[in-house]
Amino acid sequence: MLVDFEIIKRAQAGNAAAFNEIVLAYRKRTLGTIARLISRPEDVEDVGQEVFLRLYFSLDQLRTAEVFEPWLYRLTVNAAYDYLRKQRRRMESRMSDLSEQQVMLADAMAGGRVDHDIRQRKQISEAVDAMLSAVSEADRILLTLKEVEGLSLKELEKIYRVKENALKVRLFRARQRVLKAFGEAGHEPSAKGAAKAEI
Amino acid sequence: MDALFRAYRDACPDPDVSANFMPELWRRIEERQRSVFFMGRWARALVTAAAVLSLGMAAYLYIPHGRTSVFSVESYVEALAAGHALDAPDLPESVSDEL
Repeated sequence: MLVDFEIIKRAQAGNAAAFNEIVLAYRKRTLGTIARLISRPEDVEDVGQEVFLRLYFSLDQLRTAEVFEPWLYRLTVNAAYDYLRKQRRRMESRMSDLSEQQVMLADAMAGGRVDHDIRQRKQISEAVDAMLSAVSEADRILLTLKEVEGLSLKELEKIYRVKENALKVRLFRARQRVLKAFGEAGHEPSAKGAAKAEI
Repeated sequence: MDALFRAYRDACPDPDVSANFMPELWRRIEERQRSVFFMGRWARALVTAAAVLSLGMAAYLYIPHGRTSVFSVESYVEALAAGHALDAPDLPESVSDEL
């Protein structure tokens, strides 16, 4: 826990300073999770503010301070899910849409100002984004939380409020769908094979 | 795939938070509070208006009016008697023998 239970209880009682403390403690981590879930840096703060807005208005519904973190993750996941659904609708109408950062990076790369490390990061980021964008928002979020955020099955159980076995099945199916999409996109068979072997 | 996800985690570190984050968040909170407050006031005003209207209509129906109601308050026999008043034998007027 990044804050004491006492601070959460004070925030629940309507203390604005306590709420500020919670936001300050969790905002960086929350924004990081959102950044990896939605892959559009220019919208990360907007979604992050939506998460803390929802937190502010639903804090009184939290029964015990012990479950605060999974609950905040749940709010984050829901806000990211809402964003991705809206984004998918928008993307359907504007297929050539590029994020601001992608445009900036493309410009910078054209000018030869980006070093090898940044280029490599960009390639990895684009490869994973492309892989995850081929599956549903629900699969993308579940896989990101498990594989990228590194949450355990126990933590995911609390966030999704489903049994561990059901989660394992969902994860397995999500990975299968990603691999299928990855294969259909025409990536090299060795990477695909290696990924399959890991499952 | 696991290695790729790990590399992705390293390629996307937690972003820096802008200085505008907290002021913007509080602006949005206050905006939402205002809209919730106004919606609450509208809802209360609507409920009060509906209650007043209901009471007014109840009072209007309860208080008897001068005009005849569409529903009869007479008994069946009274209604029958009133309806067949002309069936009663007319008493012939006495004939005057005065010529």
